Amino acid sequence: MTHLSMDLLLSLREPDSEPGTATAREHLNQCPECQAELHRLHQRVARLKALPTLRPSRDRWPETGARFRAERLRRRNRQIGFAALAAAASVVLAVSVTPKRAVVETVGSGVNEISQAMERSRTLENALNDYNPEGRVLDGRTAQVAQALEDRIAALDRQLEMTELAPEQPKDDELLQLWRERVGLLDALVDVHVTHASNAGL
Amino acid sequence: MESLLANAESVVARARTGDPDALAALYRAFEVPVYNLARRICRTTEDAEDVLQETFFEVCRSISRYREEGSLWGWIRTIAASKALMRIRRNKYRDTDELHDEVVGRRQEDTHLRMDLEAALERLSETSRAVVWLHDVEGYTHEEIATMMGKTPSFSKSQLARAHTRLRRWLGEEVVV
Repeated sequence: MTHLSMDLLLSLREPDSEPGTATAREHLNQCPECQAELHRLHQRVARLKALPTLRPSRDRWPETGARFRAERLRRRNRQIGFAALAAAASVVLAVSVTPKRAVVETVGSGVNEISQAMERSRTLENALNDYNPEGRVLDGRTAQVAQALEDRIAALDRQLEMTELAPEQPKDDELLQLWRERVGLLDALVDVHVTHASNAGL
Repeated sequence: MESLLANAESVVARARTGDPDALAALYRAFEVPVYNLARRICRTTEDAEDVLQETFFEVCRSISRYREEGSLWGWIRTIAASKALMRIRRNKYRDTDELHDEVVGRRQEDTHLRMDLEAALERLSETSRAVVWLHDVEGYTHEEIATMMGKTPSFSKSQLARAHTRLRRWLGEEVVV
């Protein structure tokens, strides 16, 4: 007698029966050996499911989180480039369509200051990238300070994103304040990495 | 599995804004099941740890695209499985069970080499082991496995049958007629 192949035994376990399984099922009903084989298959799968859960030997979150934060910084850096261009364009537009000198000057100076803060932010991030902090070893205290600064920058970035995504036009002074704060934190972060100054900015 | 994360909805909402505490909470909640899946598929602990890191890096990047149509664990698990499969494709290890068959398999065919399930599973090729784990333990269908592997459902079915035939032999479950 030809017994059921492993393929057929496995197909009998599938929820949707395939064509051809009816004959196999008929054979199974009459064959104790194939019934035993199917039982062993069920048992084997049950034992696989019952294997102990394996756990990582070390915590990979610090590296994963740091990598994600670094990517966010890079992305923000790229956005700054576009935003600075857009800000510059809006100044040109404001100057060309508004006849009143005083208004132009007020609008222009606010946007200008934001552009400058963005540019400074970008310069600092480039300096940080060139320094490649991820590839260097920091002592525990310095690493802690750097981490705290990165977290504050990430929080500030979220705030900037929310402000930029808000339906109403963000106020210049509000944006300027956020960008200045970002520059200050980045400045401190560069300082921490380059000089290992563990009291910087905090 | 969702119960691993208390207040899942609020954690996901905060994680979408990039909140580092919420992202860390996601990692802490699903670190062990993701590692277990990766380790069962990959050959080494180092590979499994890399898959763990790759998976959560992707989770952090893509959490804003998670639409809550399926379970959170289902979404993370699919990312983990894809990363583990990518890893084994990249490694292209020589299949040890095939090596065994070539070198000593024939000699030992009738001797019912007995080993425990852990050792037998470890001895399967990475592809076979991935199919066994994803199908029999994680509950993926052959169609889903085929999509993740870039193969056909028939490939997944034949890998599973081949793996079970080997496991049966290595576990000494073959009936001597």
